[in-house]
Amino acid sequence: MVNFMFLAETVSEEQDLVTLIPWTLIAQVCNLFIQMLLLKKFLFKPVREVIAKRKAKADAEISEALKAKEEAAAMKAEYEQNMLAAKEQANEILATANKTAAAKSEQMLKEASEQAIAMKAKAEADILQERRKAVNEVKDEIGSMAMEIAGKVIEREINEKDHANLINQFIENVGS
Amino acid sequence: MEINIAGPKIYWTIRLFDGDSLFSKIEISETMVVGWLVMFIITGLCIFLTRGLKTENISKRQVVAEWLVELIDNFVIGNMGEKFRSFIPFVAALFATSLVSNLISLVYFRSPTADINTEAAWAIVVFIMITAQKIKASGFLGYLKGFTTPIAVMTPFNVLSEMATPIGMACRHFGNILSGVVINGLIYAALAGASSALFGLLPGAVGNLLAQIPILDVGVPAILSLYFDWFSGVMQAFIFCMLTTLYISNASEG
Repeated sequence: MVNFMFLAETVSEEQDLVTLIPWTLIAQVCNLFIQMLLLKKFLFKPVREVIAKRKAKADAEISEALKAKEEAAAMKAEYEQNMLAAKEQANEILATANKTAAAKSEQMLKEASEQAIAMKAKAEADILQERRKAVNEVKDEIGSMAMEIAGKVIEREINEKDHANLINQFIENVGS
Repeated sequence: MEINIAGPKIYWTIRLFDGDSLFSKIEISETMVVGWLVMFIITGLCIFLTRGLKTENISKRQVVAEWLVELIDNFVIGNMGEKFRSFIPFVAALFATSLVSNLISLVYFRSPTADINTEAAWAIVVFIMITAQKIKASGFLGYLKGFTTPIAVMTPFNVLSEMATPIGMACRHFGNILSGVVINGLIYAALAGASSALFGLLPGAVGNLLAQIPILDVGVPAILSLYFDWFSGVMQAFIFCMLTTLYISNASEG
């Protein structure tokens, strides 16, 4: 009996173990949605914002890095192109120099040989002239000698023209 | 020896109307007060975790906050698909409230989830969402027509099975938590009895004194609490959210 009274008393200030109470139910529905809004405001919104911010930052950094890489690649290409151009130029200069040198040396050789030929020709001409001169001198000498001899032999005066003809005839006969 | 496992305490009663109808008075019960405490704890934790968020060199708190957001994102999107992104805060609220409500019994309070009203409230909300998705997927007439499949005779059973969804969800969760409360109550009482019987064997005043103190109640129930409070509490929160996401996404497929 005492036990029963005790139970009855406690029940008066406690709800039944399993019972639906409309206001509690409504309160719990409201609580759930309020909790949802609170979570949205205090957890999801700030966290998503910071993640989005970080993502934007990372994206910006990546694009910057890509840009820098592209620039470096462009610089490298330019440098390589410049190097190539320089090399080509050097080759060209070398080739030109070689060609010039070859042409010069050829020309020099040619000039030298021409000069040599000219010198040779001149020497030959000189020799020829000297010889002719010598022959003429000999001729004159012989002529005057012959005239003297002849004058002495025939002891008479011959005119100048006959004289020369005679000498020439004589020399030709001697020369042949 | 008296073992009394009763419903939540009523702290205040606000009378709205005279009479004795269901809506005539608002009873501010333990369920509501602890429920508010739960909300306070969750929101406080969120504010604590999201304080001073940075984009780099982040704090441990921020790591936890981001991990939680990612976890719930993966859970909802994994179970429901990308088009149900808007359900993420709802499922998060459901899970957090359920989990904290279940575990708050570890620190003396009576779980709001040990009151069928809490689970019934959640189940009704989920049921409305399921129905809304079904109507959205196949139209109102299509939704009604769905009850007559495969043959018209099945209609009452289809209605029953439809009703069974929220009732089942609510009762599963409530039953598990309540069983923990009941078993914990029984264990405490039984251990107190055992303690008093055991130390009552000691002779004289010492035995009388020690028999008054439920010494065996210290420590021993903690082992059982590992299952009934920790495991069951986490598991039921997870199952309730799992079922919510699966039912809603299945409903949208018509």
